[in-house]
Amino acid sequence: MNRDRRLEVMVGEVLRWGTIASSALFAVGLVMALAGYRPDRAPVILASALVILLATPPARVVVSMIEYVRERDWLFVVLTLIVLLALGGSVAAAYL
Amino acid sequence: MNPPNQNPLNPLNPLNLTAELAVIIFGSGAVAGGLGVALGLGGGIFLVPFLTLALGFPLKSAAAISLCTVIATSSAVSARRAGNQLINLRLGMVLEVATTAGSLLGGITAQLVADTTLQRLFGVVSIAVAFVMLGRINRRNVILDPAADPGRLGGRFHEEESGGVVTYRIKRLPLALVASFVAGNVSSLLGIGGGIIKVPVLNAWCGVPLRAAAATSALMIGVTATGGAIIYYGHGDLRPLLAAPAVLGVQIGSWGGAQFAERFSVKWLKLLMSALLIVVAVLMFVRSLG
Repeated sequence: MNRDRRLEVMVGEVLRWGTIASSALFAVGLVMALAGYRPDRAPVILASALVILLATPPARVVVSMIEYVRERDWLFVVLTLIVLLALGGSVAAAYL
Repeated sequence: MNPPNQNPLNPLNPLNLTAELAVIIFGSGAVAGGLGVALGLGGGIFLVPFLTLALGFPLKSAAAISLCTVIATSSAVSARRAGNQLINLRLGMVLEVATTAGSLLGGITAQLVADTTLQRLFGVVSIAVAFVMLGRINRRNVILDPAADPGRLGGRFHEEESGGVVTYRIKRLPLALVASFVAGNVSSLLGIGGGIIKVPVLNAWCGVPLRAAAATSALMIGVTATGGAIIYYGHGDLRPLLAAPAVLGVQIGSWGGAQFAERFSVKWLKLLMSALLIVVAVLMFVRSLG
């Protein structure tokens, strides 16, 4: 139960920093786009915000997998791997 | 006067996001986020109808934007809740296998079917869930003995309403997996988190108390929505410029909603949720008929 709580806190940190980074970049990119400031840069910033947003939940799964490996909880290692593979399937479906 | 492809509300042209439209999207995101967090949902169930019915976005574009807000809400809300043991990480991980598989399949299917089909599906899903919630409005799933064994996937947490530690055990795991697969599928197709399917099923049939079901679902929908959003992005239906005001609005709204969500009683939350879903369903059917 205590180990689960520690993982919960680690997961929370990953989600917190992912949220802060993507929201900050979305805000900066949006203001730049609306103001017409550096029209070459705004789309790059907005795209990075989106990529960080999309990468945050998978990062949480990766952190969980590392923790389950350390606990030698192989059933949950396999489960987290399957989730990551399914997300990889989405990337394949998006670009193939 | 404008030809159709230069309509200021046409989301397929990334260059014409006006400040006005950004404010409207931001505001609708804030309202959807506030309602969503109060109900333990991602808010997409309210944002998608608004973007399609009020602003005239194609359903796929609205769904893609909504999935971004679902991810943002999931991450922000779960970051805030982490540590108080309301989120059931193990149950969430087991069910995520089903939601991500469903999400992958739904994302592929969404590229193949018409918007009107998706609108009718949205209506059917909303109605079904509303009636499930209404039918189970007085059920409780907690064992009030704090020494009870929660089993491998169950959990225990401190409940505000009864002022004690409550323990719960998971029942009918296969049903929870099926519901999660359907939720993941519908999530990608319709741009919602899928909490409206998982939370009632987990609560009504699988033994999970409403607040734990909502917290666990809120964590899961981030991964689920990511699977769908990636597919929309790859197919050009997801514009970062349109997602930006929606994501920021939902963040503000869900932060605001979280300040008073705990004060609502579970019974009133269920009633409010059901009423809103029925309204959404009717609007979607009307829209799909043209």
